[in-house]
Amino acid sequence: MTATLPRNKQSLALAVEPAAGKRRLSTAKAMQEAISQRMDRDQSVFVMGEDVGSYGGIFSSTTGLIDRFGPDRVLDTPISETAFIGLGIGAAVEGMRPVVELMFADFFGVCMDQIYNHMAKIHYESGGNVRVPMVLMMAAGGGYSDGAQHSQCLWGTFAHLPGMKVVVPSNPYDAKGLMSAAIDSDDPVVFVFHKGVMGLGWMAKNARSIGAVPEQEYVVPIGKARVAREGTDVTIVTVSLSVHHSLDVAEKLESEGISVEVIDLRSLVPLDREAIVDSVSKTGRLIVVDEDYQSFGLSGEVIAVVAEHDPSLLKRVSRVCVPDVPIPYARELEYAVLPTPARIEAAVRDAVAT
Amino acid sequence: MTDVRFPVMSGAKDATGVIVTWFVESGDEVTPATLIAEVAVDKVDAEVYPQTSGVITLLEQENTEVAQGAVIAQVA
Repeated sequence: MTATLPRNKQSLALAVEPAAGKRRLSTAKAMQEAISQRMDRDQSVFVMGEDVGSYGGIFSSTTGLIDRFGPDRVLDTPISETAFIGLGIGAAVEGMRPVVELMFADFFGVCMDQIYNHMAKIHYESGGNVRVPMVLMMAAGGGYSDGAQHSQCLWGTFAHLPGMKVVVPSNPYDAKGLMSAAIDSDDPVVFVFHKGVMGLGWMAKNARSIGAVPEQEYVVPIGKARVAREGTDVTIVTVSLSVHHSLDVAEKLESEGISVEVIDLRSLVPLDREAIVDSVSKTGRLIVVDEDYQSFGLSGEVIAVVAEHDPSLLKRVSRVCVPDVPIPYARELEYAVLPTPARIEAAVRDAVAT
Repeated sequence: MTDVRFPVMSGAKDATGVIVTWFVESGDEVTPATLIAEVAVDKVDAEVYPQTSGVITLLEQENTEVAQGAVIAQVA
């Protein structure tokens, strides 16, 4: 049995959330830079998955890495998710630090045994003697008519199952820092990126998907939420692309004197419960915005955090999620179920009206 | 003053490109190591870096179609 020791001792010295500086990147380029910098530093880091090589990742998560590090460290795989995720787990328990891309989160169904029975449980079943320092990254989210099997978020599904950290960045700065932290982690980390925050020209592009990113290496701590905007009337707790929509709504409503606080969770596991309670203690009104399915997921969990802490904090609570239906292909129907700015705005108005 | 041109990426000379993202604004200091833009022709992306250092002035907007080889910014 091989125990994987914390090898990246140097990483402990990495800056934690340094000033952003002026250089701007897209979220996709920020992820590429994080992986590239960790590969430069640590020979045990490698990338594997479908179309991660010359194609550069179908959502540009690995563009340029094969040119820099070659096909021995950036491995294109066949369509064989169980095999290559299993390969990643095996490499991880033997001391490598694989970054494995599942492509679409929706594809987890064909390889879930490797993910939740092996990747997530080996450290538990070995009494902590065998670690699985692996990153499993995947694209999530809808809004571009890709249908019910290519548009799901599903981060709540991974977060529900014990043994995996789950990070969901919303912007370039956090994407780089969380990817660096994920690679450094001795635990398996599921890294879910929404296609709509990557800053890709061929997707509907949100201005917040381009932002300032330090050139130096740094980490964003896994499990620490960020107050994306301070406010006093109502708290929106959300992740990923919905952070951008919530900030747009908050800016719009400011002129009417409605003050919205936006909490970007950044990580689902560990969940920053303190940040949620702190904000709701101030505002008394909670809206959870989540592009994942509504029932049995993140939105209910966030509300339960507050209710278990002190239910009297809650003057109002509601959620803006995907109702429990498959994501439609037809644009009008898809936008009827997504947590759009219009739905978020209506929820805020409803919350402050009482 | 030096021109920054849209790269020639396609053999089809008439094919126009699009400026996907400006990573800098007019008035920003740039160097040859500064990523200033991402551009695309027929969904193939390329990064644009200036050849000289100085203060950049952008001449085209994001999401506009531009001829390959056209001047899209100037560095002075």
